[in-house]
Amino acid sequence: MYRTKLALPFVAAAMAATMTTAAHADTTLNFVGTESPTTWENVIAAFEAANPGVAVEYQQIPFANFNAQIEARVGSQDPTIDVYQADTPRVPALASRGYLQDMSSLGDRIAEVATATEQSAVSYDGTFYALPLWTGTQLLYYNRDLFDQAGIPHPSDDPAERMTWSETLEIARTLQEKTDVEFGFTFHQVDRYFQLQPLFESRGEGSGLTGDDLMTPAISGEGWVDVATWYQELFESGLAPRGVSVNQMPDLFINGQVGMLYGGLPQIRRFNGAEGLNYGIAPVPYFEGGEEVTSTGSWAIGVSPHAANPEEAMAFAAFLTLDAEGSRLVSESTSAVPVNAETYEAYRGRLADMAGGIGDAAAILTFEIQNTAVPRPRSRGYVRFEEIMNQAFSDIRNGSDVADTLSAAERRLNSTLSRL
Amino acid sequence: MSARLVRSASIVTVALLFFLPLWWVVASALRPENDIFRFLSEISIWTIVPNELTLQNLIDLWQSDFALAIFNSIFVSAMTVAIGLLVCSSAAFALATIEFPGRNLVFTVMVISFLIPFDAIALPLFNILRGYNLQNTYIGLILPGIGNGLAVFLLRQFFLNIPKEIREAALVDGLSHFAIFWRIYLPLSGHALMSAGLILFIFQWQAYLWPLLIAPAPDYKVAAVAIAQFATTWEVRYGLIFAAAMFISGIPMVIMIVFQRYIAASVASTGGKE
Amino acid sequence: MSPRHTYLVASAFLAPAFLAVVLLRLWPAALSVERSLVAPNATSYSLENYTYIFSDPVFQNSMLVTLKFLLIVNPLQVAVALGLALLVNTKMPGIGVWRSLIFLPIAIPPSVSATIWGVAYRPDGPLNAMLTSIGLEPMRFLTSPDQALFAIIMIVSWVGVGYWMTFLLAGLQDIPKSLYEAVEIDGANAFQRFRYVTLPQLRRPLTFVLVANTVANFLVFAPVQILTKGGPQGSTDLIMFQIYDRAFTMGDTPSAYAATVVLVSIVLVVVILQFRMMERSEP
Repeated sequence: MYRTKLALPFVAAAMAATMTTAAHADTTLNFVGTESPTTWENVIAAFEAANPGVAVEYQQIPFANFNAQIEARVGSQDPTIDVYQADTPRVPALASRGYLQDMSSLGDRIAEVATATEQSAVSYDGTFYALPLWTGTQLLYYNRDLFDQAGIPHPSDDPAERMTWSETLEIARTLQEKTDVEFGFTFHQVDRYFQLQPLFESRGEGSGLTGDDLMTPAISGEGWVDVATWYQELFESGLAPRGVSVNQMPDLFINGQVGMLYGGLPQIRRFNGAEGLNYGIAPVPYFEGGEEVTSTGSWAIGVSPHAANPEEAMAFAAFLTLDAEGSRLVSESTSAVPVNAETYEAYRGRLADMAGGIGDAAAILTFEIQNTAVPRPRSRGYVRFEEIMNQAFSDIRNGSDVADTLSAAERRLNSTLSRL
Repeated sequence: MSARLVRSASIVTVALLFFLPLWWVVASALRPENDIFRFLSEISIWTIVPNELTLQNLIDLWQSDFALAIFNSIFVSAMTVAIGLLVCSSAAFALATIEFPGRNLVFTVMVISFLIPFDAIALPLFNILRGYNLQNTYIGLILPGIGNGLAVFLLRQFFLNIPKEIREAALVDGLSHFAIFWRIYLPLSGHALMSAGLILFIFQWQAYLWPLLIAPAPDYKVAAVAIAQFATTWEVRYGLIFAAAMFISGIPMVIMIVFQRYIAASVASTGGKE
Repeated sequence: MSPRHTYLVASAFLAPAFLAVVLLRLWPAALSVERSLVAPNATSYSLENYTYIFSDPVFQNSMLVTLKFLLIVNPLQVAVALGLALLVNTKMPGIGVWRSLIFLPIAIPPSVSATIWGVAYRPDGPLNAMLTSIGLEPMRFLTSPDQALFAIIMIVSWVGVGYWMTFLLAGLQDIPKSLYEAVEIDGANAFQRFRYVTLPQLRRPLTFVLVANTVANFLVFAPVQILTKGGPQGSTDLIMFQIYDRAFTMGDTPSAYAATVVLVSIVLVVVILQFRMMERSEP
């Protein structure tokens, strides 16, 4: 149970000079992640109930600081992180630097609950280094009221009738003309490689990393420049908002300030809870003449090799992900898509309920995962790659010269990847 | 005289301009969260004058973990001042009153070393202290703040200005150096100690990079770090941000207003006449 | 007292501070030097980290940006602080209050001022609202590579000038009236009074302010890390952030150490130079 720590300071004050973190039970496990604590509340309570003497402390760290925190703490062999959320594409990078505990001992159980694709998502060099937790897909959310106002027919939720980007932008423009909506369209995770990768893949430009070990950047060619310029145009032309951060995008959609939002499945839960929002879902657009590509992959759970309590840490990590009960408890607290096959079935049912009148989310999910999902490149340099790409996209969104920015980013990638 | 009037008017205008953002913070903290941005797009008097006052933001703030962060900041800063004043004044005393060969060299070395900007060596220091398991501890937070070159410099200047005769008389009377320090010099140094204490306090209160590195755990997070993270969580709560800003700024502001003259007076006077 | 006894006593007093110096300043500095000489995956010493950062366009950019920042912000802040000190060096009702208002922002921790100004600089924030209300175009501030650095300069200046002003004000008030009277008898005007009496007499406080301000500006970190992350396009990539970025975002600590050594060396040199410069022109 996530506890507020108001009693602690007074104890600490009395014994301040020599005290390190107080133990509230015989063993305290430290678990860090980016999710809101409500996601883990129930599963932590269950684990503690089943393991008397073990307490789990969860710390939520903002996404923007997460990498730096892991680097600073796990990287410096700090024993105060036992278990942490590990983004699947980062597993090779983390594992190669010794930040993840070898999970071979749980290999059989992993194979039981996860598909081959998902198993490789948590592996590096043929060995398991993390436990699969979630996967995901993206949806195009659209505001039905605004569409009606502008006289635009609702897009279909059938993947066979996926819209192209041209069609989508046309709709966005119409929305802006015919209603008083500020923006026609936006990405939820603007400037993040995670969401923009499909754009480049859809045009056949690859993931940006090539070579046998995916350590060679290839982002400055004509194709990349074209797509990136297209991305910049969205903001340049006023279709999509500049200067609004990722965190604020869902609010924009909820407040009816943007007509369409390209975002992940978990947003359904949030949007359902928003009063007065009448929305629907459709499969995400693709470039006409190109491939239909969607993002996938999400968080996994890793254990630090320097954990203060390695056994309990492994037990907890396994409970969260591989155990039927634990996995179910997590799944019921979030709308993220579970990898665990058993839990997934129950999830689909819940998703159908949640997605009630907005569209067949379950069908889109299944279709995308089976047919269009392209995972992020599994490279030892992925963490650095992602950071640099995100900065480049941010600059591009803000209007910098596309070719220059991409070339500079490529030079920078070459420079930093060579250090690995 | 109109020149006087112009000058006075300028002073008031400038002062109000500097104060305006602070006013905006307090006004925003005390109004309903949704109003903060509602009155922004068109500038009106309501932008800075709340049309509805509420303490809800403050209440929400105290029920969040931020209360702990404020406590941490207060505790760490207070301990830094207490320990730091002892450390710095002892050193200043020795450097000002005890004649020993190499005294000037030691002084110069100490002041120059403390000129090594602290944040610049935060990274290696972080790795060192981490090696002693001092991450996420109060000691880890306090340590770097107790030695402050400026404080030593100030106190030494002040001690130098205390007439030698007092010390010599005391020595003749058989007082030990420590007694002289504790019972004579320190009591005389009220103002200088307050200036030095202020310097130590401010250093610690507004520290950001160091606490970010050494104490990221929620139990030990300080206010300066906590507020920056408010703006990057999934839901940006402006009410909380402004309320937190009000608190984190308010406490040192009050302290500084009360002790303002001690900051400038000591340094400037030690600088002016030697 | 015997010399030996003297040393013992002096050491006792100096010990804690001395230990603090060694353990908390000199040792980390030495460690940075040592670690900076070890390239990643290397087992021997070399200058590889240094050749890497000096040939790295990102680091070069950071040095340029830092230089540009300092060349603007130092003279600006000192000049404004001096101007303010001269302005408020007068008696008027409530002068204490007005001075306090200008001084207050220094009480705000940099992370707080960065966060608040971040809100103010938003495209839909109060600053743009003010601009549009008087008919000007809204500005991009933190998202524009041309404006972002100035936006940060605004923040640190708003916070700092009142603080430096207080020192200069005290210095002004320490100047004996008799000096002014003497030159007035000779018919000096306001400008000449300033140049021949005020400035020279302010030498000490000015030195202090200049040096302390320079060091503080070298270390600007919070606004960059919280608001711009070095962007857009590296236009705000000040050196403290660059070090942090290398160490924790890129996970490349060896080059972060090399950058640290470069920073510390430059600061020490600049500070010592400034001290010397001011000292030498002592009458």
